[in-house]
Amino acid sequence: MFEPCLQHKEQRIQWLMIAAIAALAVIGTTFIYSATAANEGAKALAWYKQEYFKQIIFYTIGFGLAAAVCLVEYNQIARWSLVGYWLSILLLIAVFVVGTKIYGAQRWIKIGPFQFQPSEFAKLAFVIAMANFLSRPADELRLPGVFAKALAMTVLPFALILKEPDLGSALVLIPMTLGMMFVAGAPASYLRRLFACAGIVIALILADIMFAPPQWRLPLADYQRDRLLVYFGKDFAPRNATPAELAQARQRQQKKSYNIEQALISVGSGGLTGKGWRQGTQNALGYLPRAVAHNDFIFSVIAEEKGFLGSVTVLGLYTVILFTGIRIAGQARDRLGRLLAVGIVTMLFSHVFINIGMNIRMMPVTGIPLPLLSYGGTSVICSLVAVGILHNIHIHHRS
Amino acid sequence: MLIVDQLKKGDRPLQILAGTILASMAMLLAGLWYVQILSVQRYRNNLQVQSFRTVRVPAVRGKILDRNRTPLAENRPSYNLNLFLEELRPLFRAEYANRVRKDYLAAHPGLTNVLRGDVPALERQARYRVVSNLLFTVSSSLNDPRLLIEKHFHNHYDSQRSLPYPLLRDLSATQVAAFTERSSHLPSLDLDVQPTRAYPQKSLAAHLLGHLQRDDAPDSDEDIPAKFLLPDYVGVSGIEAFLDKELRGQAGVRSVLVNSMAYRQREEMLVEPQPGKNVVLTIDYFIQQATERALGGAESHARGAAVVMDVRTGDILAMASTPTFDPSVFLGGPIPPEEWERLNDSKLLPQFNNAAYGQYPAGSTFKIVDALAGLEAGELDPEEIYQSKGYYQLNGRVRPIRDTAGEGEFNFEKAFYLSSNPYFIEHALRIGPEKLVEMGLRFRLGERTGLPTRQEAAGYFPPAGRLRSLDGSPWTAGDTANLAIGQGDIKVTPLQMVCMVAAVANGGTLLQPRLVAQVEPQENPTPENITTFPARVVRGDLRVSKRSLDILTKAMLADVENPVGGGRRAAVPNFRVCGKTGTAQTPTKEYVVWFVSYAPYENPRYAVAVVITGGSSGGGTCAPIAREIYQAIVKRESMAQPPRPSLAANP
Repeated sequence: MFEPCLQHKEQRIQWLMIAAIAALAVIGTTFIYSATAANEGAKALAWYKQEYFKQIIFYTIGFGLAAAVCLVEYNQIARWSLVGYWLSILLLIAVFVVGTKIYGAQRWIKIGPFQFQPSEFAKLAFVIAMANFLSRPADELRLPGVFAKALAMTVLPFALILKEPDLGSALVLIPMTLGMMFVAGAPASYLRRLFACAGIVIALILADIMFAPPQWRLPLADYQRDRLLVYFGKDFAPRNATPAELAQARQRQQKKSYNIEQALISVGSGGLTGKGWRQGTQNALGYLPRAVAHNDFIFSVIAEEKGFLGSVTVLGLYTVILFTGIRIAGQARDRLGRLLAVGIVTMLFSHVFINIGMNIRMMPVTGIPLPLLSYGGTSVICSLVAVGILHNIHIHHRS
Repeated sequence: MLIVDQLKKGDRPLQILAGTILASMAMLLAGLWYVQILSVQRYRNNLQVQSFRTVRVPAVRGKILDRNRTPLAENRPSYNLNLFLEELRPLFRAEYANRVRKDYLAAHPGLTNVLRGDVPALERQARYRVVSNLLFTVSSSLNDPRLLIEKHFHNHYDSQRSLPYPLLRDLSATQVAAFTERSSHLPSLDLDVQPTRAYPQKSLAAHLLGHLQRDDAPDSDEDIPAKFLLPDYVGVSGIEAFLDKELRGQAGVRSVLVNSMAYRQREEMLVEPQPGKNVVLTIDYFIQQATERALGGAESHARGAAVVMDVRTGDILAMASTPTFDPSVFLGGPIPPEEWERLNDSKLLPQFNNAAYGQYPAGSTFKIVDALAGLEAGELDPEEIYQSKGYYQLNGRVRPIRDTAGEGEFNFEKAFYLSSNPYFIEHALRIGPEKLVEMGLRFRLGERTGLPTRQEAAGYFPPAGRLRSLDGSPWTAGDTANLAIGQGDIKVTPLQMVCMVAAVANGGTLLQPRLVAQVEPQENPTPENITTFPARVVRGDLRVSKRSLDILTKAMLADVENPVGGGRRAAVPNFRVCGKTGTAQTPTKEYVVWFVSYAPYENPRYAVAVVITGGSSGGGTCAPIAREIYQAIVKRESMAQPPRPSLAANP
């Protein structure tokens, strides 16, 4: 007698997922406050100009948009997917023309007082467009032309984002494509080949970065090369370096490994229960660089101040969202809904895995945000809209 | 898993996706477990190393007090002006942006921005300019304009950024007042009070107190993992050195939290420093002062010493050595060359404690030993008349031993107060060297008394057994004759001589000289935490009859009271002094003159030994010094607050 009741409720709203999202939003605000409180420059600002408050605004806008997205059936939204896709491509191109350079990468477009990161939007647009494209009958996916088209849809934003350069955001597209194609029922042989190709491409990139002589190298930004070298623990200096070059390389290496070293110290020194909110010294004393503590490295701040228990809580909340998403995919009304849900789940999952992995040196440092927690308007709003779409699929699931 | 199970059976792709995500999350969980639980210690250590600096904080040094707790060495507040570098950072930045960078760009017309490699040097320059301007402004306002030493500042900045920079040291009272008046607009400056060693009585008892030295590498046996050391001092001589551990106390540890720029963020005291203990000496400030004054009144460029001892307890009431020095000259910066030269004068040796470290021939004062040896051996009859020729001719010796007493008939007392050499040589030869040396050894000559100042000599006295002279040749009658008049194989310190007369005075007990009465905590001394050094520690018994002592002390009294006695200038009205003068010649043909004595005759309480190198005679040079000392003692005894007999009775 319970189940019909439960099912009835489930038909409407996924309370558990919404609660998890709300919890992440609260955690995000709290720890962005903690991460920026030690910064004297930031402290001097009026409360409504402080980053935690701006983040609250972003959450509000995001929740509003997510709710709005739920009002329209996702099939209706999907019709506009191509428009969204090409718009995002246009914006990615526009970044090169009117974009703002921050820390050596051209990723932002300034509109009045707002900064906007097209790559975040592009990821979402890509998921919808890809899901829409792959939602055709599985048999069609066997046609090489269709498969090639799907690949091309991936490669275009991939190349543009890579060019910014934003290696992390670009690489995230690969698991998203693979996941959606896999669930869409693309032939296993194609997928195997695609998987192998992706593997080879990544291996080639890495080999090129680490071993190739300078003139053979990909035109990657130096910092990306350095980050990967740091990750693989390789010496910066070429093998036949002079002592002076060696010393210089060592120094550079120390400087480059600094962020990840400090993130590790933050996370590790948190221990089981952490040092308490606003008690983390790594961030307060500026060892964890102020520029990244509240966005890409927000997890370090949480892990230092709330310890292993805090980390597990965050991990658990994401797991709740991801598995609710998979369940929504399983109960989706049609192929479009199923693929859309899978795309969104893989997108969120890739971000979470890469970002948290980078904090504990399981992944190389790539500047991608932790969805729903990191400070940043574009990321928060896009993530919330994505979750909104997920919920939309749930609302219209097959009865 | 609930969700996976609920997926439609046969929905393989979603199950695989769910499985992949689950496995990945488990990987993250394992990674977090590894970093946050298993490696927590390693990362906490890393954190500790990079963000904490430990600073060794010296404890307040204990005082050195006289027996009535008059401070002889204490601490005075020294006001230092410290600069908190972390609070200057905005000024550093402003200086860099507004001046240094602009100057640089003006000097390099082709550049629009500072070359990356030049930035550190320019930042250095900006910091130096800020601090240097500040120092000049502040010091000028205190009427003591100073320039910042560039190297010193940069060294401090590079290695000790988290510690405040000592801008000005030891401000005068007027400067402190001037600074406090104007400090309101200078928040980065802090007036810091440091206890600094001070010797309020200047050079008084300098040789006993000793002196300190800046210590840049304090004891490695301290269990302090300190990265930074604040200036501390270590005692290098005197009580300051001997009781350095007690006086110094236990250094504390301050932990300074530093930010990623190595600037100080906040600090806390991890281990409070334990203040050093006070040392209470047996010295009486008043008598010490009088003794030094009396000694200083002797011939100019005199070198000598005087010791005053309580014959009942062995307490050293005064111990003076001249020339002397002011121990505070070692505290400041480098000692000026002329001062250094004076301190290390190879002839005057001002740092040398003549009272315990100076070794002199005993001269005629040794006749005290001759007398006791003769009386005890029965070889000396005090009434027997000895016919002196005014010199003594030993068999086989070319030159006779000269004598100032002249020729004539001498009984013991006359021979003693006129210090007839032939009389005592004759008797010494009768006694024989073995018995003479044996009597000397009962006074434990040739041995250190154990004065806790790190400056004490043993002197020399022939050891018991087969006698050999100092140069190793066989003992001869000439050696005995020489020894009888305190020459040749004998070297004594004034401290040994004062012990000798004290033993004669108190009826035959050789006492251990006591300099340190007790060591007690600076605050709340209780019987449990006070270390008391007992008075009247017996070193030996003379084992001589009362009769011998009576005969000797009467002769010593006559030495002072007889109108022609050698020590007549030591006489003090109503305070009967017993003594013996002495004169000896050093290898450098200088006279060493002595007066050893005690008083009062009826109820002996004080023993005084005075020695002067380069004096004219014991009676002429040293006896007046002893008289001055006895006069001061008489005055001291008549004071309303009599010297407390025992310090342990103090609360």
